[in-house]
Amino acid sequence: MFKRNLLAAALACAFPLSAFAASDAEVAALRAEFDQKLKTLQADYEMRMKQMESRMVPAAEPTSRTDKLGAVGSGSSFNPQISVIFDGVYYNDNKKGGGIEAMEHIDGINHSHDHEGHGHGELERGFNLRETEIIFSATVSPYFDATLNLAVDSGGGVEIEEAYFDTRALPAGLKLRGGRFLSGVGYLNSQHPHTWDFVDQNLAYRTLLGDHGLKDTGVQLGWTPKTGSLYTLLGVELLQGNEQVFASAGEVIPDDVLPGEGGLKPKYAGPRLITAFAKFSPDLGDDHALQLGAWAARGRQHQEVHDHRDENPAAKVNGLEGDATLWGLEAVYKFDAPGAYGEGDLTLAAEYLWQRKDLAVAFHQDNPAAIGLGRKFTQDGAYLHAVYGFAPNWQAGLRYDITGMTNKVERQGAADVGYEASDRWTLAVTRRLTEFSLLRLQASSANLYEDGDKNRVNQFFLQYQHSLGAHGAHKF
Amino acid sequence: MRILIAVVFSLAAQAAWAASALNVVATTASMGMLAREVGGAAMQVTVLAAPDRDPHMLQAKPSMMRALRDADLVVAVGAELEMGWLPAAINGAANPRLLPGRDGYFEAAAQVSLLDSGQAADRAHGDVHPTGNPHVNLDPVRMAAIARALAERMAKLEPAQAATFRAGAQRFAAAAEQRVPGWQAQAAGSPGGVLFHKDGNYLFALLGLPILGYVEPVPGVPPSASHLNNLTAKLKGQRGVILHHAYQPAQGPQLLASRLGWKTAVVPLEPAKDADAAAYFQLIDTWVAALVAAKG
Repeated sequence: MFKRNLLAAALACAFPLSAFAASDAEVAALRAEFDQKLKTLQADYEMRMKQMESRMVPAAEPTSRTDKLGAVGSGSSFNPQISVIFDGVYYNDNKKGGGIEAMEHIDGINHSHDHEGHGHGELERGFNLRETEIIFSATVSPYFDATLNLAVDSGGGVEIEEAYFDTRALPAGLKLRGGRFLSGVGYLNSQHPHTWDFVDQNLAYRTLLGDHGLKDTGVQLGWTPKTGSLYTLLGVELLQGNEQVFASAGEVIPDDVLPGEGGLKPKYAGPRLITAFAKFSPDLGDDHALQLGAWAARGRQHQEVHDHRDENPAAKVNGLEGDATLWGLEAVYKFDAPGAYGEGDLTLAAEYLWQRKDLAVAFHQDNPAAIGLGRKFTQDGAYLHAVYGFAPNWQAGLRYDITGMTNKVERQGAADVGYEASDRWTLAVTRRLTEFSLLRLQASSANLYEDGDKNRVNQFFLQYQHSLGAHGAHKF
Repeated sequence: MRILIAVVFSLAAQAAWAASALNVVATTASMGMLAREVGGAAMQVTVLAAPDRDPHMLQAKPSMMRALRDADLVVAVGAELEMGWLPAAINGAANPRLLPGRDGYFEAAAQVSLLDSGQAADRAHGDVHPTGNPHVNLDPVRMAAIARALAERMAKLEPAQAATFRAGAQRFAAAAEQRVPGWQAQAAGSPGGVLFHKDGNYLFALLGLPILGYVEPVPGVPPSASHLNNLTAKLKGQRGVILHHAYQPAQGPQLLASRLGWKTAVVPLEPAKDADAAAYFQLIDTWVAALVAAKG
């Protein structure tokens, strides 16, 4: 109806009375003028309609006294949420591909006792597909969340990296986690490789905790107490303690040395490893953040079998048994700049780790008198890294890591053995194409000691990483 | 004696009751403003995201977990805007009251209809939010609806103050709705503008103005030369203004502006952390003024 009125008005404008006595030319001119005016009116009318429509928006919104619970979920979110992380590297070194092996044989108290079934480190010179991570997570019930993290290596082998549940509803800032998980100790320990700022694990973690860090089966209780403006997280973990370089049980002595018997039996039922950690973070406003932490771990049973006959046929097999103590300190500082895509952001992180294995000879191939003699293994390590966003979506990282500043075996009834410290400088440049893809170039130069000889190992990595599926968390 | 104890106790209880204001954490400054407008002066509101930061990109900092640990209510924008950090921060806070689905979790985007909802969940189109555009904070009309919903939520958590909350929401909603025709009248005839990111869409729709393009080729990806070339070719000869925030890199907008003979305007996405409704309306004024200036 409104439209008809407008048309009538338009006609009235376009055909004034005097026009009736006009010539053909004047009629044509008038028609053109009419068309023009009609168009203007139509445009004006359409604009008004648009404005009216936009003003009508309020009526479309809920005015009733209700509010909606919950989160607006994504069309892409399934239950469980799934994400897959692809990780590949081009690798080269100055040791004809021996650089990775040199990392495995660094002089120290844990060398050649690698209990890992596989490693992130097994790389060839050239193209490599690293472990593909597949992560499932969901809320189980009002009371539990659960997460499964699978690592598939390039040969098709699957390992359960993590499989745990978390409680949702405990009061008083308590949270319980159970299953197999990365321990909450330290800053980097609970981070998966795809969230690292460097391609590989730092030397301190690699030699003292293993390439994956401290990961075991058990329970973790976390508590966030009320401490004013200071963030506090206290945690304690009871872990099985049989997969660690410093905590293991049931080691087998080779059959040809001790036929039938098997070897060192676990003395204690699990849990054999207990950890405790504390993290503190003062509120420093929007730009700065600081987190300080300390942790300790105690493994009440550790067993090792030393069998060096491959390298030296005259070597005698022996077994050691005892306990282990670890502790560590961590500090993380972050500056959040107002720049877009991470420009100007800075992260500084440093950790120190210390480990002692207090063991005694429990088996000796040809010298029973040695049984009971003490062997005290001590080693420490540290890293310091800085990551700076020097342009939108570009980061530069510099890392210094060292292991074995203290690096010795104190032997009862024999001379002590000392090892040198191995260290490394690493430079990494990361280009994040989007939130979900990155390219990273990393070069490192290390002085590694193997059997007392110094090796300079230079390594080069070109890495890509893609993640698909659920949006990952931006963890601190 | 017994009477005395009873009196002391009831007085203490009353004092505690009068002082009991909800402890509210808001993710962004706009949400903080809304919580204070609805909640009234007694409301203690902590804002997690600094207004000059990209709300998509924050990290779940320990200080956020600290604030969420004791909160009764978290007021989020939602629709996956804070998905990189808020779920992780709530998880780290170990505060079951704030889990999505509980009364302590309020999402603004869940209270209103969203633009661009139902897009394909395909990241070939960038960091898309398939549930719809989450940047509802620049739409005063939707913010009014959100304020009313927030009042209901707060009333549920603290029934004794329900009238205060509803009155606060009504005051904000009336003030917002009263200003809308003025903004629309001012902006009428503006040629519209180019946005950096899809975050001014609700305001443009309210003003009835066209969005002529985006500096980002797809959401979450910085501008490329080829995209700016295409944009220049498309917009050559037209009029408009390029709007971006201080935290977005200025090179792309400036290059485009110099090629088109346009102006750029730096407009904030969020008001100050302690903003009240007046400061929020000023923010809208700033955007409208930039669009009015584009009339030439």
